Amino acid sequence: MDDETFLLLLLSDSNLPTGSFVASSGFESYTKHGFGGDDASNRTLTFMRNSISAYARSALAFVSDTHRIVQNLRLMHDQGALRNQPIDGYLDKIKELDELYDAMTLNDVTRRASKSQGVALLTLYSKGFTPSHLPITVNQPEANIETNASMALLVAKYKSLVRAEIVPGHLPICWGILTGALGLTLERSQYLHIFLHARSLLSASIRLNEIGPYNAQQILLHVSRSIIEAEVGRCKDLRTGLDLNVEGSGSVSGSGMEEDHFDGVVDGPANTWPLGEILAARHDLQHSRIFNS
Amino acid sequence: MSGSSLDISKLQAGGGRITLSSHGGKAWISEFSATYPLKLLSPRLSENDVAIIYVLTYGGGLVGGDCVHLVVNIESDVKLLLLSQGSTKVFKDRPQQRLASVQRIIDHRSSNTQTAATVQNMDFTISSQGALFLLPDPVTCFRSASYHQIQTFHVSKDATLVVLDWFTSGRKSLGEDWVLSRYYSVNEILIAGKRIAKDIMLLDNKEIDPNSHLNSSLAEKLSPYSCYATVILRGPLVQKTIAQITARYEAISIMKRRTPEDLLWSLSSVGSDKTNGVVVIRVAGKETEIVKEWLKNALSPLEEHVGIDVYRKAFV
Repeated sequence: MDDETFLLLLLSDSNLPTGSFVASSGFESYTKHGFGGDDASNRTLTFMRNSISAYARSALAFVSDTHRIVQNLRLMHDQGALRNQPIDGYLDKIKELDELYDAMTLNDVTRRASKSQGVALLTLYSKGFTPSHLPITVNQPEANIETNASMALLVAKYKSLVRAEIVPGHLPICWGILTGALGLTLERSQYLHIFLHARSLLSASIRLNEIGPYNAQQILLHVSRSIIEAEVGRCKDLRTGLDLNVEGSGSVSGSGMEEDHFDGVVDGPANTWPLGEILAARHDLQHSRIFNS
Repeated sequence: MSGSSLDISKLQAGGGRITLSSHGGKAWISEFSATYPLKLLSPRLSENDVAIIYVLTYGGGLVGGDCVHLVVNIESDVKLLLLSQGSTKVFKDRPQQRLASVQRIIDHRSSNTQTAATVQNMDFTISSQGALFLLPDPVTCFRSASYHQIQTFHVSKDATLVVLDWFTSGRKSLGEDWVLSRYYSVNEILIAGKRIAKDIMLLDNKEIDPNSHLNSSLAEKLSPYSCYATVILRGPLVQKTIAQITARYEAISIMKRRTPEDLLWSLSSVGSDKTNGVVVIRVAGKETEIVKEWLKNALSPLEEHVGIDVYRKAFV
């Protein structure tokens, strides 16, 4: 099995401690407020469609740009950079993206959920995906050792910035860091991120007693797939508009900010579902609730 | 007082400039100019440190290709209430050829954009102890209209800002309900040079493939509401307003409902503290009128700072 397929299997494990099991992304509030009609299965479908489309349009540019920055650092090593390649410039760029996403997420419930899931991903990498705590020595190909050490350092440093509350550590940013550090391609990273969003909505729907587990599988297999593909297709080339080139590292192709002109209307992130935004923000007003968001 | 044009030669079509200064404790409009199709009006006021300015467009609407760019500078210790006169109506096409030639915005990259968008840019600078109350009527995009509005606010640490940005689903009398082509609105707030909030709203009917069941039309996504508003508040003069609205919000307790309410609103406090934070309120209503009534009521503590007579000119 190739590395990437194995990584996909690993990352799509529903037991991963990513914090998504306490998030409904506004679905609990949506049903509580009487939206989506009388049929529970239809309610889940309608919400899923709108939520995936809104989330992809607001978050995917941030996943992509963060992934590109981490990928650039990886490339520096592949091109034979020294072991102690300075990473501060890369951390600063990621921080800039994180702060922009924070400024665009003007809803405290969504902010809270995004930050707790974000830091969980960084913890997952440092505790779960680096071999440091294994009782045996893991044989890594010689060429990967330096790259992996540098990736581990990047994640560890960013995590300490999050812990110190110097950076917010939002979910799309941390997903970009995690998948970039693991070496997953950008295309797979984008797709998996939206897939996991869809799957966690369906688990939330099961927990809320809206649909049963078999129905959820049917939806995931027969409906979600085309929605995910359509939305990822629509948003895969979106960018944040920030310049990603790290000073002193040279311009790396694919960084997304070459000569071409950036038009935020067509190329940038945006909030496309104002109703979903209001409902998500009202989550905390529910008299009783199961989820944290 | 009305439009004495100081630097009119320097202005592009649709350009405008306002500078509000303090002169002996009174608000004094020291710069005031606008070119077609933008028009500014300022009635005389009795209030000392408050000025009121109406932003108008000829014929009461904007058409595809119109571009308005207004630069507003509020100096220390003065307050500006900026209003529109009636809702901003955005048409798809020019109803008839106008006399003056207006700068056209041609979207060169637009393989997917058929008609030129209407563009409205506004840049505001608010100095120490200054205040901006931006309380226009809602934007109404007619069938197939495309509207881009980009507002940037440079705010001093101790300045006050109130931004209302709202839009409706179209002309109900003509059966229009979310059939606009595109509505794009950016509100970016920088406090002492640091970006605190960048709200980007995009409603796009172009993305919808009518033959596909994969995504919802705008009407499906936004129903049953036909008017959406965003209010952003920060600064020393709105603390009482914020406290009052927050108390109302926290008193809400939602029980399971079978059908949506006529009006929904949310409040979020973002940013770490009073100087670096903003409060964001979003409102959705089945009718524009109920949203207007809600806003008028919720923001009424502002009367204290602009005067009751001046406040009455907003939300008419």
